[in-house]
This record gives sequence, C-alpha cells and structure tokens, in this order.
Amino acid sequence: MTSPESISMNDLNAARFQSWPFDQNHCLTCAMCSSSCPVSGIDGFDPRKIIRMVSMGLEHPLIESRWPWICTMCGKCEHVCPSGVHIPDVIRNIRSLRDREKVPGILHKGLAAALKTGNNLGLPKDDFIFILEDVADEIAQEPGFEGFSVPIDKKDANILTTIHNKLVNTHTEDLKHWWKIFYAAEESWTIPSENWEGTNWGMFTGDDPAMKVMVGRIADNMARLDAKNLLWPE
Amino acid sequence: MFDLLTAYIREGRIHLDKTRFRDILATYHDPCNYGRKAERIFGHGFYDEPRWILSQCMENWVDVYPTRDSQYCCGGGGGALTTGYNAERIFYGRKKMDQIRATGASMVVVPCHSCHGQLNAIKAEYGMADLVVKYLWELVADCLIMNR
Repeated sequence: MTSPESISMNDLNAARFQSWPFDQNHCLTCAMCSSSCPVSGIDGFDPRKIIRMVSMGLEHPLIESRWPWICTMCGKCEHVCPSGVHIPDVIRNIRSLRDREKVPGILHKGLAAALKTGNNLGLPKDDFIFILEDVADEIAQEPGFEGFSVPIDKKDANILTTIHNKLVNTHTEDLKHWWKIFYAAEESWTIPSENWEGTNWGMFTGDDPAMKVMVGRIADNMARLDAKNLLWPE
Repeated sequence: MFDLLTAYIREGRIHLDKTRFRDILATYHDPCNYGRKAERIFGHGFYDEPRWILSQCMENWVDVYPTRDSQYCCGGGGGALTTGYNAERIFYGRKKMDQIRATGASMVVVPCHSCHGQLNAIKAEYGMADLVVKYLWELVADCLIMNR
C-alpha cells in the first residue's frame, strides 16, 4: 500500500476497533516502534501509522494493505513501546479481517489442507508412515544406532512429538536429529500416524477457530495414546 | 524442548563430545517466539537455557549484538516464508545477517524451524553462502557419544 494523498472522511470510524484490548489508543506517536522495526519504510510501512489507523478506525485501508503481512510480528516494537501497545496482536487481528481467499501466498491454502487432511501437505497416512520408516532404516545403519526403529502410535509413551511438514517433504534428513537423541537417552516416545502436523498456520492468518481445531487434534492424540508429555518443536 | 535437552544432559542420559566442533566459531540466534514472545506470554524468555546447551556442545561460540530481548528477528517469522513477499523478506533479514557477519562465525545455531529456513534461504544473498545454519537439536545430535 502507498500512503494515500487524502483519506475519505467516510472511512473514519473511531468506534470501529474500540473493543480491541491492545491499548492502541494509548499510543504517544513517539515512533520508537518505527525506529525499532527492520521493515519500516517498505511501501511506507510504519507500525506507528498502523496503530494510528486502528485508532481512527480505517478498516478498509488496513485490511487491503500488505503492511500487516510484511511484518513478522517479531515484537521488537512492542518491547520498546513506552505505552505498552500490543502491536503484534493488532497486526494479527488486522490479518484476521482479510477475506480468506485473499490471504497472501500459500498460508490459507496450507491451513485449509491441514483442516481437511490433518497436515499442510495433504500427505496420506500410508505415505507418511513409509517416509518415517525409510528414514528410520537409514539411522539403523549408522554406527551406534543399530536396531533403531520409529515408534508410531505407541501407547503410554513419555513423549509424543509433532512433526513439521517440511521434514516429511523436502528435509527428511532433519527428522533424524531428535530421533537420535531419543535413542541415546533411551527415551520412551512416539509419533502419531494421523494429525501429526506441528505447524499451525492459523496463528499467522489470524484464524482462531482453525488454530483451535489443530491444537485440539494434538490434544486428542495425547489422550488417545495416553502420552505423558508433548514435544512440539514447531 | 530446552528443558528436555537440559535434563538429558544433566542427568547423564546423553553424553556430548565437545571437541567435535572445536575448530569452528559459532554464534546463536534468539528466535522471537522463545524470547520476547515467551517472556510476555509465559513470563519467562528462554535465553539462558539454549546458551547452556550450546556450551555443552562446544566452547568456541560468541553472541551477536544486540541479543536476548533486544535481538533482531531473522525476517522469516509470522508466516513470512509463505506469503510470497520474498523481496521484502530478504530485505528484512539484512540486520540479522550483518550481526552474524560481525561475529566472524562460520556457523549459526537456531532452535526454530522458521529461523532455520529463513537464514538458509537468504545467506547467499548476503555473500555468506558457506554459513552453516544448524538446529540446536541437530548440534546436540551431532555431538552424541554412542557406544560408551
């Protein structure tokens, strides 16, 4: 978004975001946030401007802007803010207002696939198990890891771990690190064969209902397998 | 995750070879979610734990500056790796890459999938194609002493 030359008075609606509990109206316009932000200046992006626009209720310019999607919600702005404005929460809530079909990139598509199939890739259960066992066989051939196998759907494990989808897609080598540590520590652990997805893109798109579904599935896996602890490295 | 690795090491359930990377200078990157975000939401930022684990794996590492709650984001968080705004994402990472370059380190250790992906994706853009980006748990696995 480029800064508009003028703003239509019809867009001003100071009541629009009054219910948001992020202290946005306490902004002092000091610009500490702007100075701290690594992407201030891209397309005129500036966290202070976003906070002012929220205070003024400029809903449509905010939703249509790509500013909230260039921000990584890293929280440096919030950390330096003397008024305690929760700027990353404001950003995430602006993201949540965008039409789902207009969420940029693959974020919403991946999330939709996860809601439908249990993981962002839409990877079928049999393929998932095949990949895990294939990687386990490779580990078992390394010195010191003789007899290694991957415990899928094991009941009563001490640790249940989720899996980042990229580790069963383009980065299968990176599955091995935790597995080797578990083997060395003689840990009792397991991976669920379904709903194993560790990423939760509803966090990024501002989709709370979807986030809740994804988290609920992990909780269901914990209960189904009577796992004691959850390792969720994503 | 940090607590688990710390327990394994403290309880002697795993043993680590500190000499494995003795000829390498490494540095560490604080992910926003384990640092600032965790500090705000859970009242505790995980700054000391990963550094202790790192020190069990190798002695030769230095911090970037600034760090901990004042660190710079890598530029890959918040879904930025998947929005398609790649030019902006690469630009975002310039401060992090400057920090890493200033340490002279040839390896950066991270405990986050997004940071790992971002740093690997942009390092060549900043003339640091040879920089090794390593997960903290990968470093631990690399240093495991088996068959004691």
